[in-house]
Amino acid sequence: MSSEERNAEAMAVVAAGKAETLLAFADALVAQGQRGQTQAPAEVRQYVAFFLGETEYAIPILQCREIVRLTTVTRVPEAPAPVRGVVSLRGHIMPAVDTRLCLGLPGAPPTPRSRLLVVEVTGRLFGFIVDRVARIIKLSVPAIESSAEGTAPLGVTGAVRVGDGTVLLMDADLLLHARLGAVAPNTRGEEA
Amino acid sequence: MEDIFSALVKDFVDETQPIALEVGAQVLKLEEAWGVGEDGKALLRSLRSGLHTIKGNAAMMGLSPVAQVAHVLEDVCARAAEVEPEDRPALVQALLEGGDLLVMLIRSAPAGSLDAGRADEFVARTAVSIEAARAAGASAGLAQMPTETGAAGVVTSAPSDGERGSARIADGDVDELLELAGEAIVGQTELLRVHARLLRGEFEAGDMEVMDRVLTGLGRTTREMRDRLLRVRLAPIATLFGRYGRYVRDLARERGQPIELCIEGGGTAVDRAIIRRLSEPLVHVVRNAVAHGIETAEERAAAGKPVKARILLGAGLREGRVQVTIADDGRGLDMQAIVAKAKAEGIDTSRYGEQDLQRLIFHAGFSTAKTVTELAGRGVGLDVVAGVVQGLGGRIDVRSTSGQGTVFTLDLPVTVSLQKALVFGVDSETFAVPTGFILDTVESREKDLQEINRVLLLSWRDDFVRATDAGRLLGCQGLAEAWARPYAIVLQAGNKRGALLVDWLSGVQEIVVKPLDAALLGCRMLSGATVLAQGKVVPILDCVEVVRRVNRTLQPERSGETKAEVVYDVF
Repeated sequence: MSSEERNAEAMAVVAAGKAETLLAFADALVAQGQRGQTQAPAEVRQYVAFFLGETEYAIPILQCREIVRLTTVTRVPEAPAPVRGVVSLRGHIMPAVDTRLCLGLPGAPPTPRSRLLVVEVTGRLFGFIVDRVARIIKLSVPAIESSAEGTAPLGVTGAVRVGDGTVLLMDADLLLHARLGAVAPNTRGEEA
Repeated sequence: MEDIFSALVKDFVDETQPIALEVGAQVLKLEEAWGVGEDGKALLRSLRSGLHTIKGNAAMMGLSPVAQVAHVLEDVCARAAEVEPEDRPALVQALLEGGDLLVMLIRSAPAGSLDAGRADEFVARTAVSIEAARAAGASAGLAQMPTETGAAGVVTSAPSDGERGSARIADGDVDELLELAGEAIVGQTELLRVHARLLRGEFEAGDMEVMDRVLTGLGRTTREMRDRLLRVRLAPIATLFGRYGRYVRDLARERGQPIELCIEGGGTAVDRAIIRRLSEPLVHVVRNAVAHGIETAEERAAAGKPVKARILLGAGLREGRVQVTIADDGRGLDMQAIVAKAKAEGIDTSRYGEQDLQRLIFHAGFSTAKTVTELAGRGVGLDVVAGVVQGLGGRIDVRSTSGQGTVFTLDLPVTVSLQKALVFGVDSETFAVPTGFILDTVESREKDLQEINRVLLLSWRDDFVRATDAGRLLGCQGLAEAWARPYAIVLQAGNKRGALLVDWLSGVQEIVVKPLDAALLGCRMLSGATVLAQGKVVPILDCVEVVRRVNRTLQPERSGETKAEVVYDVF
């Protein structure tokens, strides 16, 4: 069951005794304490790197739920421009977003190497269509932070040098926000 | 931290709100029990235990206004057994008001904006009268209890939002679902083993049997999982009907007339989503029955009817669908007014039978009330009710006998997540239409179509229906023209009709309706999507919008311009 379905109307709350609720509370506190400890200076973050044309981009691995082969995209009449249509991820219907169009690049027909980066934003799933997925890269936090300079297209938060090349850092959340309007938790199913 | 707190508040609301909603219903039962001379002790006990639970839960969450209100109501209940019968109405009023207040407070708990002022005021007012009663001795009761007027009654008429969004699963059911999932995984493992062997080119004699057996098992397991999960979505329709008990009582008081509300088949299970969406429209039907249907006491007496009017809310399963009945024993529909209105609208009433004329009330502007009273003439019309029912994949009908009453029947699916739909194709794309909106599917020959002032009309059953090329309306990439489409689907949404011209039709099938992401809210012509065999995703049309568009779309100019144009209604 995907997280959006969990948010949907028939969300199932498993009856839990008070003791379990309190235990969960305690667990969360402990986890928070640990997270505080790991915020050491040399933190490394992982990114999923992919190509659009010849340019390499990367999004935080934490935003990316999975990477799947691009299957048939069903066109949706009157969908906003960067949305190519919808696809089914094991029965869950999610919008397929053309990452090229999102970043203001010219569109390109899908190839066998095309992939769908499944991104989770506030409990909703979106598929980002990319030309091909390259690799997982590790970046240190200082490098990421110092990269956010100058003017960049919407959704691109910085650029870092990796080896001989440059990788543009992308924030899926910001991009969706800019291109598809406010990304609030899904409410469509609740409509009367 | 905050997430955990809001999760705890949500648990609190889920657990406590049903109890608070039950308070009002129990008070009404108490009133009834007292009315027939019972002491109502068992009801008072159960009321107190519910209030006690609310108090405890609220105190644990630090929601002191809720806890205080629950506490003072507990006190009221404690005194209730001793009060004199003539003081009982004041007490009932206080309990009802307090129950409403609890519901309101609990509902606003997640937003963190408890109306502490109102809670304080209620607690102070009620506590004072309890003290006064205590001081005057046990027999004095709560006669001086001041009541707030005008503020009550809101809760039952707008019961939609507070309790939305969650269903409870019993631990046992979770275990069974896990077991089924486990079975499915075992089956898959077995298939994988055979698969691996086949890949190596080895084939054993028993493989075919193993695959047959496992596939049959898997089919059974997955079907059962689906059925069980669907059941989680269901709730007894009594949760919907129960909300109207208070409402009818208040209406009866307002009109100063006794009305009895009967509920039959309250245990019938229906999708929570249906209950949620029907809740408000049904208020209108019930209000309609009271405001338009039921005569004054004098009229009833003159007609030889019992003075106490009767409203029946019934439900039952028939052929896998839920039949809901809302009946009154009032004067019946005012056929003269309906006919007059129809004639004023230019409808040839001689073409309609009695039953069809009655159905006109589901069209906009057919309210038959002679005078707009406090009760009627507000809120939604029956056309809106019909629209909601249709949107749920159901149908509404009415049957009225002059002087004997009116019966509304709703025919609804058990769940909205499964719908019957017709799958059709246009250009190279596939779409689905819920069958509830389909009047007819016909072969569309060129001679059945005519274009007048760029309006395309399909002749259908001695009538004309506006038609539009589905490919053009839905923005498909094909070049085919409306005239060349071999089929037409005639749709009806509300009182509007429209025909879609399409390339092919496939049979009606049961589809699982899935919502579209909010990013696609702008796609007004779609209500969702479904996944067909081989994982093909198919959009489901929102027929209300599609029919509206069909009635606004003009044919392209003859010059070859093919862009869809939208203008104001011509009809």
